[in-house]
Amino acid sequence: MLSFFSPARRGSGLGTALPALLLLLAFFVIPVAALLSRSITEPELGLHNYRTLLGSATYLQIFLNTFMVSAVVTLITVLIAFPVSWALAIMPPRLSSVIFAIILLSMWTNLLARTYAWMVLLQQTGLVNRILMGIGLTDRPLQLTNNLVGVTIGMVYIMLPFMILPLYGVIRKIDPAVLQAAALCGATRGQALRRVLLPLAAPGIASGALMVFVMSLGYFVTPALLGGTSNMMVAELIVQQVQSLVNWGMGGAAAFVLLVITLAIYAVQLRVFGTEVR
Amino acid sequence: MSSPYLHINGIRKTFGEVVATDHVELEIAEGEFMTFLGPSGSGKSTTLYILAGFQDPTAGDIRLRGRSILQTPSHKRNIGMVFQRYTLFPHLSVGENVAFPLRVRRAPQAEIAAKVRRALSLVRLDGFEDRMPAHMSGGQQQRVALARALVYDPPVLLMDEPLSALDKKLREEIQHEIRRIHQQTGVTILYVTHDQEEALRLSDRIAVFNTGKIEQVGTGPELYASPATHFVADFIGNSAFLAGDLVAIGAGRASLRFADGTVLADIPMHGTGLAGGKAELMLRPERIELTAQPGLSGASLPVTVEDVTFLGNSSTVSARTGWGEVLSVRMNFGHPMMGQVRQGDALHVRWQPQHAHVFAKA
Repeated sequence: MLSFFSPARRGSGLGTALPALLLLLAFFVIPVAALLSRSITEPELGLHNYRTLLGSATYLQIFLNTFMVSAVVTLITVLIAFPVSWALAIMPPRLSSVIFAIILLSMWTNLLARTYAWMVLLQQTGLVNRILMGIGLTDRPLQLTNNLVGVTIGMVYIMLPFMILPLYGVIRKIDPAVLQAAALCGATRGQALRRVLLPLAAPGIASGALMVFVMSLGYFVTPALLGGTSNMMVAELIVQQVQSLVNWGMGGAAAFVLLVITLAIYAVQLRVFGTEVR
Repeated sequence: MSSPYLHINGIRKTFGEVVATDHVELEIAEGEFMTFLGPSGSGKSTTLYILAGFQDPTAGDIRLRGRSILQTPSHKRNIGMVFQRYTLFPHLSVGENVAFPLRVRRAPQAEIAAKVRRALSLVRLDGFEDRMPAHMSGGQQQRVALARALVYDPPVLLMDEPLSALDKKLREEIQHEIRRIHQQTGVTILYVTHDQEEALRLSDRIAVFNTGKIEQVGTGPELYASPATHFVADFIGNSAFLAGDLVAIGAGRASLRFADGTVLADIPMHGTGLAGGKAELMLRPERIELTAQPGLSGASLPVTVEDVTFLGNSSTVSARTGWGEVLSVRMNFGHPMMGQVRQGDALHVRWQPQHAHVFAKA
């Protein structure tokens, strides 16, 4: 019976992959194909939807917003998640499991509830502004909602677990003694970080960054609630085209462009990091 | 008078209530191979970590060439260290692992290349520069670690149980390598181990650690022939200890009376004890022999043979004293008594007077 689980039997040939392929066909390939076909047939056959999308400054600004916010969110989550993951890896297991529970609990809390909570915190009379004024960093409330600053703050919070989990998985496997070895070899803290810790954590940073960046590109709820109408991201554009304007052609084109960009980023990632990223 | 090369001066380290090391005092000469020997938790590794700068002592000082190094952070101490679990940098090739200490010191490229080649040649891994550590055996990885620790000519090389992860055969092979490298480079080595055989094989001198203190420092033969304490006698070599009462003490010698009234006189005594106090007689199995006739007074005991175990090149005889304690006697192959000793025989054990030791019990 054991041989059933052996690597030789597992995943051999098309037979075992068939259910997964069928699932992918029914729920991914066919809808995407349908969307693609509507984007080049509605309202009439041709590429004019794409021409409009890529030719208009308004639409390009929306794509630019999306990339900017996703890139900044990814960068900030890396900067926060790296020390957090390192601390989780070296702290006593009891404490780290409590902190993990808190992180997961926040992940499992309803997304809308969390985003509305940030609206309350970030509004003109909200806690964040009152603290900033209280400690004298600003004398007037800052505009933290209805713009991309709010979107970035809210999305960093939402994306943080998706960065911490893969990063922690990699960092936990690093033997802390290699840092002692580096120190005795003469490396300063900065050199040990640059030459030892960061290269060893790179696969975790890469997979976390890919996850966060790609999820951010297509994110809807947080940009819609915290960003206001004048600072759209691509997902909002798609919803607006399909729901408000019933323009399936434009909506489909925007969605398809987003998909192509996402796949391109994934391909680059695979090329650079090979099989290290799963 | 010149100061010692390396002076571990009254190092004390406490973790809360727990005393890890207590007044460790040791002077080490340049080029010496000094081993810290002791069971786990005896303070030998703590002392090494303090030398490495991973821990700060609660009290005491460490001076290298007369200068205190305690205020110097690890990365500026210039000390080399080989760890228990190799701790090579897994993302770097063998060549880059060995080059690492030189790269962080910003040495010129030509010098790095030459020194890496020389260090790898020293550990007999010529041409392994491009190998990744994960693709090497444990013994090879430990040799890379050795090359990495020696490539910048450290004044002191620390080795923290470097062979404990290797199997017995490989361990002996690397022990030979370490001896050769020590002779070839003349580097001062501080070596931590709990394996007495390894300590005896490698070291110029051994410091025996027990419960945070050094019990005795000396060469292997010194520790074996005249152990200062019961602990050292027990830890180095296999000894029998017979319990008795001190009846007379004088000039480093003592008389001991056992449970059945037998008295042995004039035995070399270690430590201080009072007449009437408890003490123990230590006898090493390879320093005593079985005879039909009693030997000199004070260097012989009547015994009954309990058991004989044949071990190839030798036999071990378990013998029971008149008052019921058991000691073992080693008999080398070819000994005239071999093959004649039977269970239940009434014989004597005897020894040279200087080979027995009395330790007063606290």
